[in-house]
Amino acid sequence: MDLNLLKEAVVEMQEEKALSLTEEYLAGGAEPLSLFKAYQAALAEIGKRYEQEIYFIPELIMAGEMMNTASNLIKPLLADNAGMTENKRGKVLIATVEGDIHDIGKNIATMMMDLNGFEVKDIGVDVPGDRIIAEAEAFGADIIGLSGLLSLVFDPMKKLVEALKAQGLRNKYKVIIGGGQMDDKACAYIGADAFTTDAIAGVNICKAWLD
Amino acid sequence: MSDPIQGEQTNKTRLSAEFECRKKRLEDAISLKKPDRVPVAPLAGIFYPTRIKGISNKDNMYNPTGTLQAWIEAAVQHNWDVALPPMLMFPVRVWEQLQITQMKWPGGGLSDDQPFQWVENEYAKQAEYDEMLSNPNSFAVKTIWPRIAGALTPISEIMQLPPLPLLYMSSAYSLPTLLGEITSQPNIRELLRTLLAIGDEYAVYQECLKNYANDAMKQGFPIVFGPMTIAAFDWVSDIFRGMRGSMLDMYRVPDKLKALVDMFTPYTIAAPMLLDLPFENKRVFIPMHRGAAGFMSDSQFAEFYWPSFKALILGLVEAGYTPVPLFEGDYTPRLKYLAELPAGKVAGHFDHIDRKKAKEMIGDTMCFWGNVPSTILCTGTPGQVIDDVKELIDIFGDNGGLIIDCNLGIPDEAKPENVQALTDAVMQYGVY
Repeated sequence: MDLNLLKEAVVEMQEEKALSLTEEYLAGGAEPLSLFKAYQAALAEIGKRYEQEIYFIPELIMAGEMMNTASNLIKPLLADNAGMTENKRGKVLIATVEGDIHDIGKNIATMMMDLNGFEVKDIGVDVPGDRIIAEAEAFGADIIGLSGLLSLVFDPMKKLVEALKAQGLRNKYKVIIGGGQMDDKACAYIGADAFTTDAIAGVNICKAWLD
Repeated sequence: MSDPIQGEQTNKTRLSAEFECRKKRLEDAISLKKPDRVPVAPLAGIFYPTRIKGISNKDNMYNPTGTLQAWIEAAVQHNWDVALPPMLMFPVRVWEQLQITQMKWPGGGLSDDQPFQWVENEYAKQAEYDEMLSNPNSFAVKTIWPRIAGALTPISEIMQLPPLPLLYMSSAYSLPTLLGEITSQPNIRELLRTLLAIGDEYAVYQECLKNYANDAMKQGFPIVFGPMTIAAFDWVSDIFRGMRGSMLDMYRVPDKLKALVDMFTPYTIAAPMLLDLPFENKRVFIPMHRGAAGFMSDSQFAEFYWPSFKALILGLVEAGYTPVPLFEGDYTPRLKYLAELPAGKVAGHFDHIDRKKAKEMIGDTMCFWGNVPSTILCTGTPGQVIDDVKELIDIFGDNGGLIIDCNLGIPDEAKPENVQALTDAVMQYGVY
């Protein structure tokens, strides 16, 4: 068994080889958690390649697929998912705000947050601001992630931040806004703590906040 | 006492001259000849003109006559060089009749003030590639139509036949039975009534577009573009496989993905020419999605996206059309490809891009249209708009190849004073 070979197969997007090695090693009695950690190491490398602009969204999606397949094989072999839900970095509540039903960016961000050790609650699309705040409170979120592609989201996002202030909750949460039209002007208008147009950059911002 | 008839004739002559002047201004900028001044030409702005009149998005879509009138009013108010494109006034009543599932709209799954939005999904599965490639027409009618249009579900039921049954059944002996059995079924008869109603509704819609185009011309405004088409990779990714599905296809079934893209390519070129538009306009809008930075690597772009897109551009140019690609997302990494396109023939419209790199790499190839950030129009001030337009004029104005617009057309929530500032900036700084 060569865990480095498995890690490399995942990093190089060799899906069939990664699956074949995983099944072979599990059948050969390998410690399931060690395989899971090999996948995690591969995903860390994939994340680095994304930041270096060697890998792009297709590779993040492939990585998610391979991780999902591996998790489905490994989880049943572990008692109580031991080791797979170790210390989470923090909690992120994410939604596409009211008026917008786009979810591609949100779904990639959710996947990358999850793969990077955050506990993520995704409450979907077209979500009113008061529900986002209520869910963040109930979930015990550290970070509120607001997603939106359309220009109509600027005002609902701004109202949500104002509502947090009005309820004395503004300092309880970090707020990050994400979407194709987000920039420093939108961030200042909305009163968010950060903006991103890139899932991995968003993950790194969240990591920095909670480290 | 003034002669009203003479006055009307004078006005018609003035507006006709304004039409020709605006048309030339836009065409000169596109062909990299210096016009009299920088044109102000929104590519889109569907809900802005009605929102500023307090009209809901739902009323915008369900009352196109009123909406199209508001579009002309906006063009007059802001002294644009174009009228907004009627091809973006979608036939929402036909969507309703078809029970379309690929869209949600105000009054059709969304609240009255939301804009229409695409419903992302894998409408074709990866396992269905072989059938798409070998039997595209049968697959479309039998499988895709019912998935995207609930009213067409009965068709899938009558099409559950082995390949080429129609040929086998095509005789005087068998046609009466075939057609009689089909058209006697209640759900098929209901479908036929729906299709007739669609025809009636579509005729009203076409008349509405024709009237708008004529009114716009009489008011002195050329329409910003005529037909639309979509790049072949976007057809596969946007419409059928979804973003996630097509990206997995690049790894799992790349040859089938490319085969489908290749199969679509000639039709992406032909589609605008076959469209029976009720007005003449050879500028072809091409909204582009999946080729932008971040969505694929340079080598994936070169392999999967660019060849069919370049073929589309060259095909349209050869047929005498002017492509108007909307390079959505960031196209900075793709500038070297854009530089391959024929100079002065493509009206490139930009979302996000490094302006100086664009000038350096494609300044002599295509005009620079758009790119004023929507955030400034929605949340900024007229002064900020003017500063941004002035920067564009400073960078791109030297050879005349500049057209002013926001990155994706006028945002629905744009402040009117900021929209006006686009024109004010051009009048102040954009006269050559």
